[in-house]
Amino acid sequence: MTPRLFLTAVSLQARKLMSYRVAFWATAIIAFAAELVVAVFLWRAIFEASGEESIGGFTYGGMLLYYVCALLTAKLVYGRERDLSVSEDIYQGHLTRYLIYPVSYGVFKYAEHLGSMVPSLVQVLLFAGAAGFILPLPSDLGITPATVAMALVSILVAGLFVFALRFTVQLVSFWADNVWSLNVMLRFSMEFLGGLMLPLSLFPEVVRQVLAATPFPYIFYVPVTTLLGRVSVAEWLRGLVVTSAWIVVVVLVARWVWARGNRVYSGVGI
Amino acid sequence: MITVDRLSKTFWIHRKEPGLWGSVKSLVRRRREAKHAVREISFRVDEGEVVGLIGANGAGKTTLVKMLSGIVHPSSGDARVLGHQPWRRADALRRQISLIMGQKAQLWWDLPAADCFLLLREIYRIPRPDFERRLAELTALLEVEDELNVQVRRLSLGERMKMELVAALLHAPRCVFLDEPTIGLDLAAQRAIRDFILDYRRRHQPAMLVTSHYMDDIERLCERILVLRRGRLVYDGSRRAVVERFARSKVVTVHYRGTPTAAALERLERVGRRLHPDGSDAATLRLETPRERVAEAAAAAMELLDVADLSIEEEPLGQVVERLQRARGAQEEEALEEDSLEHELPGDGSVEGDVR
Repeated sequence: MTPRLFLTAVSLQARKLMSYRVAFWATAIIAFAAELVVAVFLWRAIFEASGEESIGGFTYGGMLLYYVCALLTAKLVYGRERDLSVSEDIYQGHLTRYLIYPVSYGVFKYAEHLGSMVPSLVQVLLFAGAAGFILPLPSDLGITPATVAMALVSILVAGLFVFALRFTVQLVSFWADNVWSLNVMLRFSMEFLGGLMLPLSLFPEVVRQVLAATPFPYIFYVPVTTLLGRVSVAEWLRGLVVTSAWIVVVVLVARWVWARGNRVYSGVGI
Repeated sequence: MITVDRLSKTFWIHRKEPGLWGSVKSLVRRRREAKHAVREISFRVDEGEVVGLIGANGAGKTTLVKMLSGIVHPSSGDARVLGHQPWRRADALRRQISLIMGQKAQLWWDLPAADCFLLLREIYRIPRPDFERRLAELTALLEVEDELNVQVRRLSLGERMKMELVAALLHAPRCVFLDEPTIGLDLAAQRAIRDFILDYRRRHQPAMLVTSHYMDDIERLCERILVLRRGRLVYDGSRRAVVERFARSKVVTVHYRGTPTAAALERLERVGRRLHPDGSDAATLRLETPRERVAEAAAAAMELLDVADLSIEEEPLGQVVERLQRARGAQEEEALEEDSLEHELPGDGSVEGDVR
């Protein structure tokens, strides 16, 4: 796949998503606002009930800042299309076009995934600005140009890992009629163990040590804490190495599953 | 260009009994059944040849096309398209073939056709001057220049199919698979697409394999036909030969003036079966006449009616093929019967000539 084709696929996907204006704004605003409102009420109640100044290393304002950053990171890591539509391509036979064209399906889908991150980036910038005005965030955010750059690299690597993992799970559609439940389980695991639902600093130390060997903390928790200046350069690099190693493992599994799945693909829906 | 050697495909399908109990049972144990979609088919197609693939629903046409275009892996046998095994999906092969499916959009639904074509230019790495020349040529021939910037899902079925054709031919493929290219289209669109395919063939000489339920497609496009029945190839040969061999009658159409007498009509019906005239034109008589009595029927019409025009046509290809398939079916059943009576294997049931 040539770089030009890759960029064309990225740009087409971005344009396609932005052409659905109502869906683009309405769903994004509602989802972001709803998730943030839940976090605000929940953490206000917890801080009031406990009487503590700081929980898991976060003040109330710091906790809200964590949530804003985590939710926006998730928008970038997931891209706009949350399900990648790999299983849909297999069920409905859209996969056929990618088998006929001289392209790699996985690489093409990844280009589309990157394309779906572009409109998300626009929304992230706007939502971050809005949240800064509305919420009682701490005066010192801890965010510097260097942490932004480091966090963006972490997000890009986390995005590739999440893409590879979801892609592989959805390839199960070659055999199973419905992978929806697998998708839900995967998403729950990533969001719970990855630090989107709760900062991982709230987990017991032993659990955190086990998690450090898995790719999960590097999906949301590490990119967000990197952005907030809570991660050293050495830790940040370690995260990139661990995630990259997991990407290699998942890609190898994906290739194996793909080769086998192709043998049973019948191009149904045609 | 295309060689197929004893190619077979068996699908395994799960059977589930109806109702709630059936669903519960299927949780524990599911019945698997083999469906032989294509059985030991062999043939070859040369450069510039347009071959029609005919058969009832479920005969194996689409599965065969899917194997030859590399979408589906065969269960056994071999095939080469431009020297490659298609299901290995070498880029060198995929740059030279095309698949057009009337029942399935391949273009990206949410994009305007023009954007899809730009993406295809990158996918096939078509040099810009070639791309622009071909795009202008193809869209002009199919009269869709004005629809290029409309999202594909907003196009009419006919327009979408034309865009699919443009997309499939932009890279000037040497081998084209067309699966029901005119399905669901009105007569004018069907004709436009057929003319276009003929024109493309004349200029580029690709090998083409066409499946269609519309015999008009096959008659206009293909000199040679392959007839499939239950996954087996039962005929491979010229379209004319099958008509000569299996057509029993011709249709004599008479346009006449005035009102014929009942006696005249009765006499004419003795030489042929009267078909109901097409449309509302009452002054037309169509007689399905045995081939040996065509001259007699024409003479009787001239004598008994005030004839304005008279034409003699072959029996519709669809009927002829149906008869061929029935004949093959009877042979198969006969062979099975003999097998069970004499406990001998019946061979492949071949008969002499083109019919397998």
